[in-house]
Order: sequence, then C-alpha cells, then structure tokens
Amino acid sequence: DTRFRASKRTYDRQYAQLYFSRLMLLKDVMHKRVEQLWRGVPVCSILEVQEGKEVAVIGTLYKNMKLKPSILDEYTKDRGLKAALGAANFCADDDSVVMEDDGARMVLSDWGLFLSRHTLPGTPQPRTGLVMAVRGVHEPGGDFFVSAVAFAGLAPNPYAAAALAASRPGDTYLALVSGLGLGGGRADLLATQLAADWLTGNLGSAAEQQLAAQVVRLVVAGGGIGQLEGLAGAAATAPGANPYNRSAQPVRDLDLLLAELAAALPVDVMPGPEDPANVALPQQPMHRCLFPGAASHGSLVRATNPHEFECGGVRVLGSSGQVVDDMAKYCGLRDRLDLMQRTLACRHLAPTAPDTLTCYPFTDDDPFILPATPHVYFAGNQPEFATRLVPVVVRLVAVPCFARTGTLVLLNLRTLACHPVRFDGSLGLGV
Amino acid sequence: GPPAKRQATGPDPDDMDFIEDDPSGPPEPLEDVELGEAGRNWVRPPVADFDPASTAIVFQQLEVDYYLAEPRAGVDTVPVEVKQVPVLRLFGVNAAGNSVCALVHGFEPYFLIERRPHWGADHIQALGLALNVGQELLGKAKGVGGPAVTRIEPAERRSIWNFQPPGTSTAFLKIVVSVPNLVAPARGLLEGGMSLSAVNDFVKCTTYESNVLFTLRFMVDCKVVGGNWVELPAGAYQLETARPMTHCQIEAHIRYDKLISHAPDGEYSSVAPLRIMSIDIECCGRKGCFPEAKIDPVIQIASMVSVSGKMDGPVVKNIMTLGSCASIVGAEVMSFNDEAEMLLRWRDLLVESDPDIIIGYNILNFDLPYLYERADALKIGKKFQVWGRVRGSHTRMRDGQFSSKAYGTHEYKDITIEGRVQFDLLTAIQRDHKLSSYSLNSVSAHFLGEQKEDVHHSAIADLQAGNEETRRRLAVYCLKDAYLPQRLLDKLMYTYNYIEMARVTGVPLSYLLTRGQSIKVFSQLLRKAAAKGFVIPNIKVQGPVAGADGVGYEGATVLDPKIGFYDRPVATLDFASLYPSIMMAHNLCYTTLLTKDQLNIVPPEDREQSPSGDWFVRNSRQRGLLPEILEELLAARKRAKNDLKAEKDPFKRAVLDGRQLALKVSANSVYGFTGATVGKMPCLAISASTTSYGREMIMTTRQLVQEHYTRANGYETDCEVIYGDTDSVMVNFKVADVARAMELGREAAAVVSKAFPPPVKLEFEKVYYPYLLMNKKRYAGLLWTRPETHDKMDSKGIETVRRDNCLLVRNVVTTCLERILIGKDVQGAVGYVKGVIADLLMNKIDLSLLVISKGLTQDADEYEGKIAHVELAKKMRKRDPATAPAVGDRVPYVIIKAAKGAKAWEKAEDPIYALEHSLPIDVQHYLEHHLSQPLLRIFEPVMKNPKELLCGDHTRCIAVSTPSTAAGGIMRFAKVTMSCLACKAPLPSGCKDSLCGHCKPQEAEIYSRTLGTVSELEAQYGALWTACQRCQGSLHMDVLCTSRDCPIFYRRKKVQKDLNEAMGQLDRFDATSW
Repeated sequence: DTRFRASKRTYDRQYAQLYFSRLMLLKDVMHKRVEQLWRGVPVCSILEVQEGKEVAVIGTLYKNMKLKPSILDEYTKDRGLKAALGAANFCADDDSVVMEDDGARMVLSDWGLFLSRHTLPGTPQPRTGLVMAVRGVHEPGGDFFVSAVAFAGLAPNPYAAAALAASRPGDTYLALVSGLGLGGGRADLLATQLAADWLTGNLGSAAEQQLAAQVVRLVVAGGGIGQLEGLAGAAATAPGANPYNRSAQPVRDLDLLLAELAAALPVDVMPGPEDPANVALPQQPMHRCLFPGAASHGSLVRATNPHEFECGGVRVLGSSGQVVDDMAKYCGLRDRLDLMQRTLACRHLAPTAPDTLTCYPFTDDDPFILPATPHVYFAGNQPEFATRLVPVVVRLVAVPCFARTGTLVLLNLRTLACHPVRFDGSLGLGV
Repeated sequence: GPPAKRQATGPDPDDMDFIEDDPSGPPEPLEDVELGEAGRNWVRPPVADFDPASTAIVFQQLEVDYYLAEPRAGVDTVPVEVKQVPVLRLFGVNAAGNSVCALVHGFEPYFLIERRPHWGADHIQALGLALNVGQELLGKAKGVGGPAVTRIEPAERRSIWNFQPPGTSTAFLKIVVSVPNLVAPARGLLEGGMSLSAVNDFVKCTTYESNVLFTLRFMVDCKVVGGNWVELPAGAYQLETARPMTHCQIEAHIRYDKLISHAPDGEYSSVAPLRIMSIDIECCGRKGCFPEAKIDPVIQIASMVSVSGKMDGPVVKNIMTLGSCASIVGAEVMSFNDEAEMLLRWRDLLVESDPDIIIGYNILNFDLPYLYERADALKIGKKFQVWGRVRGSHTRMRDGQFSSKAYGTHEYKDITIEGRVQFDLLTAIQRDHKLSSYSLNSVSAHFLGEQKEDVHHSAIADLQAGNEETRRRLAVYCLKDAYLPQRLLDKLMYTYNYIEMARVTGVPLSYLLTRGQSIKVFSQLLRKAAAKGFVIPNIKVQGPVAGADGVGYEGATVLDPKIGFYDRPVATLDFASLYPSIMMAHNLCYTTLLTKDQLNIVPPEDREQSPSGDWFVRNSRQRGLLPEILEELLAARKRAKNDLKAEKDPFKRAVLDGRQLALKVSANSVYGFTGATVGKMPCLAISASTTSYGREMIMTTRQLVQEHYTRANGYETDCEVIYGDTDSVMVNFKVADVARAMELGREAAAVVSKAFPPPVKLEFEKVYYPYLLMNKKRYAGLLWTRPETHDKMDSKGIETVRRDNCLLVRNVVTTCLERILIGKDVQGAVGYVKGVIADLLMNKIDLSLLVISKGLTQDADEYEGKIAHVELAKKMRKRDPATAPAVGDRVPYVIIKAAKGAKAWEKAEDPIYALEHSLPIDVQHYLEHHLSQPLLRIFEPVMKNPKELLCGDHTRCIAVSTPSTAAGGIMRFAKVTMSCLACKAPLPSGCKDSLCGHCKPQEAEIYSRTLGTVSELEAQYGALWTACQRCQGSLHMDVLCTSRDCPIFYRRKKVQKDLNEAMGQLDRFDATSW
C-alpha cells in the first residue's frame, strides 16, 4: 500500500509531470518489448520519424473524443441541452487517435479501420493515457499509418514460485465484498446483516460455519456508503449544493458493522466512489475518527484504493472499481474482465487518469504502473460477479456490488479458485 | 532609373474616401530573388506551354494598380516626345493556378466639364493652353514629356444632379491628361477659377468625375468589376518573357480596348485556385513593455499557405525560428542564428510561394508593420521590404486613417504590397460581427468552438531564452495562431463573400476592407451613369447640408411599445428591404429631384411630393438611376437565392450565398450613401424623403391592421399593434393558436401591401410566442416560423452579449429568459434568481463569472480622470511590470470591498491578486450595479413585485472571505491563531488539536464536511486542468496558457488555492487523531 499513500498532498503541480513520468518509467519496458516482438524495426522518437520508412514509435496515446464531457461545456454549450451525463459510452466513430512522446505528437491514421481488422481478444483497446508502441509508416502529408501495435505485456510475478504452494494443507479463503451501500437507496440491510453474521460464524449449519471459519480475511472494496438516489436529483440541482456533503448516519452504521466484523476476523476497508474519502485517486484511507468503534480493533486495516497486500503468500491487488468503470466509458469494451485483463497487459492500473478520472498530480512517480503482476486482481462495485484465470496465473475477479446482488466472493488462497456466496434478504414483501 | 519621388503632401482630408491612388514607381533594375531549396509545395504549379497567337489568357484578376512606364511599341500610341504613360496592372490567377499579370496600355485619364454655349473651338484651344502653361500642371508633368493636357474633346452627357428638363444643355468637354496625377491639379485650376488670356475670358466651373481613382476609372470604362475573369484574346497580347517586370508566372502586354472582361455569370462565376498565406509572428518583448520594433527582435514567423477550394488543409506549414528549435511533425522548421537572415529568408519564401492573398489576425496593425519596421531597425529595410509581385519594387508603408460612418474612425498602417491582397481577419470580423471580445481566442471560441492557448507576452521571453524544446513549444503556438485565421476564413467563407461583394459593387477587392461603404455605391452609380450618359459632378460639401449639428433629417420611427408579457402568439410583419423599396416605389434619385423653381416645368401628374416636402418626378416621366441600380441588385439577389436553392455543390453554394448577401448589403447601403453628410454625394432630400415615407408607412400599417382585424369585421377579437420599429410591426391578434396567428399574419401582410405602391411589400415572417416586451428595442421571445415548433430564442437589446457585463449577468439573463419563455416557468426563474443571489452573497459564485474587462487604449498615464481599469493597470505595473497590462490589452478586474466611501475606481482589483489574497468581493456592488437593472427589466412584465427578487430571506445569509495578512489594510495588525474548525473558538496556543473540546464529539461529522469540500475541489481540479491539457494539445508539457478570456482561467487558479487550503484543514485532523 505504501506507494498509494501520500503523506502530504499539495496541489501545485499540473498533470504533465505525471504523464511524463509514466512515459519515462515504461519506456524501457516498451523498448525491450519492441525489440523482442518486431526484430529489426528501428525504434525512434516521433520527431525522428521519416517519411516512407517503417519504424516503431513509443509514446502515450491520446484519443480525441467529441462526446467527452468537458468542464468548458458549462460555459460554451447551450445550457438547456446539456449532454446526458453519466452516459455509458462516449465513443464515436470519428474519434481520432494521436500518439505523443516527450517531443511531439502525431496523428495515427485510419485507426478505427486498423482496429476492426486486427483486434484480437486480449489486446488492449486504445485509451487516452496508455503507453504503447506502434509500428508503421509515416505517410506523406503528416499521418502515421499503423501496421501493428504493442503493449508492455504482463509484468513479471516475482512471488510466483514461492507463494503458490498448492501443496499447502487446508483451504483458506479471502472474502471480497463491495458496494454495501449503507444509507443508500438500494441498501439491503437484512442481507448485509446475514452476511456479517455468517462471516462472524453466527449463522448457518456446522458445515457453513466451518467454511466461514476458513475465511482468514475480509476486504471491503469500497462502496460502504451508498448514494441517496432519491435525494441526489433535487439536492444536486439546488444552488450551491455540494454533492460530496452527506449525512453522518450511514457512516455510523458502517462503523458498527465494521466493529462487529473486525472483532471476528481481520478486515481491510477500502474507500470507494461514495465513501467519506477524497475522490482523487489514489484514495487515501478513511479517517480514524470516522470509525471510533471499529478502529479500536487492531484487526481493522484502513486501506487505500487501490489496495495491494499479501495474504497467505498470495499477492493481491485491487481497486474499488472506478478505474474499470471509467475505462468502460471511454473505450468500446463492456466486458469488465476484458478490461481488467487489458489493464494488466499494459502494466498500468489507471490509464484514463488524470484525463477523465480525477487523480493526484504526482510529480516524479506514477504509482499506477505495475512493477509486478499480482496473483489476484480484483475490482469492486461491478455490475455482476465474474472471474477468469489468466495464464501466468492471475486470478481476475469482478466483485459485484453487494447492495444490488447480495453477493460476496470467496477466494481460495490455495487454489485461487473463486466462487460467489449469495445472501437474499428479501422477505417476499414486495411480490 | 531612380525611384520616382512621390507626392509629399498628404491627401485632402475631405477626400478621405477617395484618395488619389499613387502610381507605383518604375521598377528598379531587376534583382532576382534568390530562391532557396523550396519544398515541393512551395511553388505554384508550372505553366503549361502555350502559343500566344492561338491561345487566350483567361484569368481572375484580384488586384488592379498602375504605374508609369515608357511607352511600349504596339500597345501604346503616343507622340514620340512622351516619355511616360500610365500602365495598368491586373494581377490574378488562371484556372490552372498560375499567377498572371496583365499590363494594360493606352488607357488615358480624363475628367469632364460643362461646355458653355458660347465656347467655340478657339475657346477650347485657349482652355487647353491655359491648363498646360500653368505652373500647377507643368511642375507635375515634368519628366512625363509632352503636354499635360493631351486633348480636349466634346462629349454628350447630362449631369446627374437634379432633374434635367428637356432642353438642358448636354454639351460637355472631356479633358484628357497624360498621367493620372494631373487630374487633381487641373481640377483645382478649373474649380478655383482661371483666366483664358487668349480669348479674354475667365473660367470657374464645376468639374465632373474628376474625383474618380484612375484604376476605378479604368474598371468602369472597361466594365471590369472587382475579382472577375478577364481574357486576353489570342494574338492580341505580347507575352513578356525577356525582361519580366513581375514575379508572376505569366506576364503579358495588351491594349485596353482588346481586353475582354467577363461578367461574373455562368462559367465565369467561379473562383480560381487562389493561394492564401496566413502569417503570424512572435516578438520577444522586454519585461513590462509591449514589443517595440525598434528594440525587440522578431523571434518566430509562422506561414501557412493554402489553396482556396482545396479542403485538405494547408499545402505549406512553415515556421522560422531565431535560435534552434526541435522539429514539429507536419511542419517545416527553419532555424536561424541571425535575425536579419531569418527575415530575408522569409521574404524569399513569400516571393517563392507567391500568395495572392495575405491573411492573419491583426496583421495590418501588428505583424506586417512590425516586420517592416524591424527590418529598418536592423538596417536591411531596402533588401527586406520587397514583398510585392513587382520585381525589385520596394514595399511602402505610411500612416493611414480610415473614417467611415458605419465603422468609425481609426488609424492604421497602409502597406502597399503590389499585386497581393491583404486581408485582416480582425478587421473583417469587427465589421461583420458584434462580439463581446475580439481576441483571437474568443473569436475562435465563438466561431470554431475551440479555446485557444494564450501565452502571455512576458512568458514568450522565457520560452525563447530556454532550449530548443521550449522554443518548439512557442513555435507550435505560433503555428496555431497562423492556422486559426485560415480556418476562420474558411468557416466564415470570407474568400467567397468578399469576392462576390467586389463583383457586385465593382470595386477592387482591396477597397472592401480599407475603404467605407460609399465607394461601393459610388462605383455602381458611376457605372450606371456611364451607361445612361450621365456624369457625376464633383461637389464640395461644406459641412452638413441641412439642419444643424450634423443631424440633417429625422430618422426612422419607433411605435411606443406596450410593455408586457404576451402569452399569445405575436405576429411580426416586416417590410422587405424597406428603404430600397421606398426608393424604387417613389423613384427617389439625384436625377429625379425637382428644385422648387423647377416645379412649373413638370405637370403635377408627373411629380410627387414626399412627406418631408421634397418633389421628385414620377417613374412615368423619367426613371431614376438609384431605383434602377436597386432593382438590378434585388433582382440579382432573387436569382442568386433561387440558384442557391437549386445548387448542391457546396463550393458553388458558398459563392451564391456570398453573392446574395453582398447584394443585400449593397442594396441597403444605397440609402446610407445619400444621407452620409461627410460622404461624396450627400443629398438629404433623398434620404429624408426615404425615412419620411418609412415613418408614414409604419403608421399607416398600424392603422390599417387595427381597423381591419376587429370583431366588427368578423374576426375573433380586436387585434392590437403592440410595437413597431423602423420596418416592422408587431401585431397581437389575441388568438391562442400559433397556426392561426400565422394565417392572420400572412393575410394581414397581403391586405396592407395593397395600400402601398409596388415594389413595397409587407411580409409576414415570424411569430413570437411567448413574447416579453421590455422597452423600445428591448425584447425577447421564442421565434416560430413553422406552426409545429419554435426555431430559437430571439432577444434584442438585452445584456446577453455586451462585453462590459460580467459573465454572471449574461448567464443569469439567458437562463431566466429560457425558463420564462421556453419553460414557461416564472416561478422557476424566480427561484433560480434567488438562488443565484444567495450564492452571490454567500461568496459561492465562481470568480470568473464576476470578471469585467475593459480595453486599455492608450498608456495608463495618459488618461484623464480616474477610471477603474486604468488605475488598476497602474497599480499592477507597480506590483510587477512584467505581467501588467500594456496598451492594447484588455484589463480584467473584479470589484472588491473597500473602505467605506471609497471611490468606485479604487475598488477594482486584479482577479488573480484578489484570489491569492482572498480579498472579499463586493457582492453588493454586483447586485446593485450589474444584476438588478436587467433582472427588474425582465421580471417587471411578468410579476407583480419584481423588487422582491432583490430582498428577502435569500439575501440574509452573507459570507465574506478573510483577506490574507499580505493584503495590507487592517489585516496587517491581525494575529493568526488556531481556532476550532467547527465553532471557530480560539484554541489555546500550542494546542495542535483541530477541534475544541466542545466540538470533539462531533469530529466525524465535521471531518466529513471538510472532506466533502476537498472532494468537490479535487474533482474540479482534475476536470479543469485536463481540459486545459486537451486545449493546448499536449500531455507531456505543462500548461502555460494565461488567456484571461478563457472562462476557466480564474477558476483553475481558484480551485488550486482553495484545494490547498482545504487540504491544510484536513491535515489538521490527521495531526491529532492518527
């Protein structure tokens, strides 16, 4: 977690530094990758590209999107016709793609055409902020015609050999939950309480209690506090309303719940989109004073988002889901696991930050770069449960929003097998 | 030979609009410009081989001028002793994109006088003799050889001034002189009076057409109009190959009567592939001063060349930099160590790429004069200032003044670039559009929907002093500034519109921007008069003709508005082209005006008295010239509009649309020409009659409509005319249905039209529903042209565009109108206004919405009296001379709270300074001086007590920020102590706690609140800075932009500051309870 923690945050810098460090940090990796993939193709900077000669160029991708919301719209556009915010996808067919390195930028021509011909499952989609390499020819007139692309690829996993001792006796489990949504319009308090009781070993038959006993750690991947949907509309339009101000009651409820859980097992709590934490990524741990009850238990870990930790020799990395959700908006892909897999394949957790995802303006570091591939990569607050095992042994888990699905996820730390556990709190009242 | 000395005397101020055009000097010895290794796109397409005997040269001419040259055999026929003759040069482009210069010989300058009945041949001879021996002409004719007046011949003409009854003398004398600049002194002699000693007579007379520029004279007589296609027929011209005079690819000599001028119709209505060069320069100023050419170097020159009609961007993108510069994709970078070398190379490129039109933003007043003067400072003027198409001809620059009723008076630098048209987008946009700001940034935001990065001139020096990367940064910026004018030109279709305007009015393209409206009408009048055998007298107008104080006659009428909010469709009836149609209907013209003593010579049925008391002969007796010109213009417009409907090709559509617009503008300017008291041909009898007819028609219309649409006549209700202005009448038919109102409107228009002589026509155009009438010339409404849905919201005279209003006022006014008119939700609008006022008082309004800006037109010290923005500029100069506004900049400011009794000008403060020092904004000032008036105006018609908007519960909560100690004033004496974040109770010194003991139990809540602030600011921070990154078009480089026109500039700054402050508060929690 340390790399996601910022002790003293000052907002004096712009974002250029972050992009610059990202490019510099990934440049060597890309260089090696290009040499390995496209033997004999010279790598050069954009400024050195000569017309008609096939070269490889490493740089940061930037996608010009017309539909992308901009704060300038508040001033220039017809205020009566504000584009529907929160639309799921801002892609349009005529989005153009440029690549930029530390010297210049160039337009990649016919990018859409290229993609439609070459997209293979598993290759990352172009996204603003992605560091990658393209191979192609500079056409007379200024555009660069792409014939192939390359990404950084999975980072090595230094823990692989030591940790995954499948021979270890006994199954232990890591429990993942997200989107409890306390105080929110969808919160399902009964299901939440059922889940808590089961985790603390107070529910179910002996077999079920046995399983619960094998859960060695619980991660609450954001979304502890829910959005008040009914209120959101009116409050947001009222002049001067701050959408980030909210009532204290759900936080107290969350404190009680966490205290109950932390008494029984180690609990990591990560901040999510609606939680009382700052919004800029990486989100800092929720403050101690918010959890006067739970914080007294030493077993409560107030974690950052993204959160990286080791559990029973397994390296786990996860986010509360904003990075995946944001990427879904800005590239044509819907499948969350695909998105997650691509994130790993380009060695960057949050390429769309800071362009469309608020993040802290780091100066000489980019904590979202993955120096190593974890064993488990999860994302919270996803629409539904999904999992996939990617060769080189990475378990991808889309942890669904609990308030919507009543599902928590158990991950076998020995086999990396993964399955959902469903709690249904409905009393059939509404039926 | 040595360059000819030009006249030292300035032009006669009366003649401002008709300055005698200077002849260019004879070319200096040929000096071939050294053509560097030019890129493949630099040069024009090569000329295909052709045989002059069998191939005609057909090209579109864009620029016409003349020079004096030795007579040339075969095309000039003059006595042997003549050493100089005027030769006209037509510069242009043929369909293949080759540049062409036609040298037209043999056309002679002349003017006319009336021939007295008793003048015989000896009189005429004596007149010629007297003119030729006078010192006035002799001095000027020196070096020309031969007599000044070459011949005097009789001519049959009639004067255009006043009705000429049958039997009026039509005998005129045409006085032909050898070179054009002899016309003025000869005119002076005749108008001043001179004695003809040989016949013992004295002559003092009016001259005719003696104020026509030589080039215009040629164009009128040869039927050449601005920007049309001309043809040099096969075998009729001499191709110049041995000693070309110009850099044009094709150069040919021809006699003027062999030249064929094609009317701009059919195949000759197209536009040749013109080369348009857009330029922008960057200069390295000293700290605190606007760059001065004498001292500060030019560090970069960007040039973009594009070809009109070619869509795929510029063919040349070049940037020249002083000092090394990293390369730029898609652009040609040329770096120089020596400034003089760079300038000279740029001159070469200008000549090589051979543009027909030079464009840019503010080039006429900045870029071009700066380059010119800079070359003088570097002592390379003679070599550098060769921008024209004439080989070795030195470009001249002089101070000019432009004065026009429509565009006001302003000074400019007049640079003569022979053969190339200069087109400054700034001038054009200022003329054609009313905008709140004319900076390139806001103009491109307005027309192209893009914000532009703006580098402050103090930052330029730092970038230049950096390394090749920072200079590259500057170069990219410079290139963009050269590209934007190009895109504006395309977007606004200026090439087409101006060429069409030149064709319609017959003046050269370059007149359109450098001269006023009247030359256009004058040119049409000349052409019409020439065709009909009329001549135009040169009348000296001494001050206003009629009335005192320049207000010669009564203007248009405005019916008293019946103020209110109309929840019924209000039909608008317009007189189509009101003034032109009045002039046509009543035959108003110079040639039809009857003086009081002429009344008896025309029978009463052949004359008509206008409501203002002047008499004009009727159509039946004699058709006026102006009505005829107008008829042709309007008929041509109708044709163009019909063609436009049928045309599919976007380029041809652009041309046609440009034409119909030009025709409309021209038709409307005819009336202004007759009323311009400082113009050339003012005739207030015509203009006063025109407006008097207009006034009468509005009154008649009101009466007719109100009499016809009554219950008594079987209509639903009695209608009511609620407002009328100049050429329109608003009628409330009091029906609920839009479709029915439209039907009645159409019917009413037809009924009323019958009451007026053709071609006056009342048209129904649109319905306003609902309609908010606030006052004279102040209204807003939803505009309907179809009964199904409204087209848009239309507002007049409301604080939506004026630039001295802050953005807040504009936003509030627009939103209120939207809510009231579109949403029909008055309560919602009231709630919104109250919310905004509450926010304002609670200090929650974004600062950029409160910024007001005013231009600094002269040095701050030169202003008399204390003016807010000027005092502020002085204050800022004391703080930091580097970033203080210089002359020509706009000074943005906010009004801050100051000591009681402080003058208004003391309250202005730099928004950035106010932000950094948390100076409290004087919200009351904004409320009282900016918001209240427009709001009361809007809400007066719709609610009972609009004052309640400005007082009441929502105004009781007030928050004021605490100024920082650095801000001075009382805060210097304040001591900063830690206080509880919740209740502000001071904490004991040394205590690091965030809260007092009392508030401690609510820590979580208080923390959440602080956190909420941080989160909101963080989100904004991200959105704002990434928006800037996108705008500047680079991810890896810091945003440098300091565009104060950009709405997010201040917000960006404010968020940064607020966020750090909020983070500081949040950190205090961490310090205590971690």
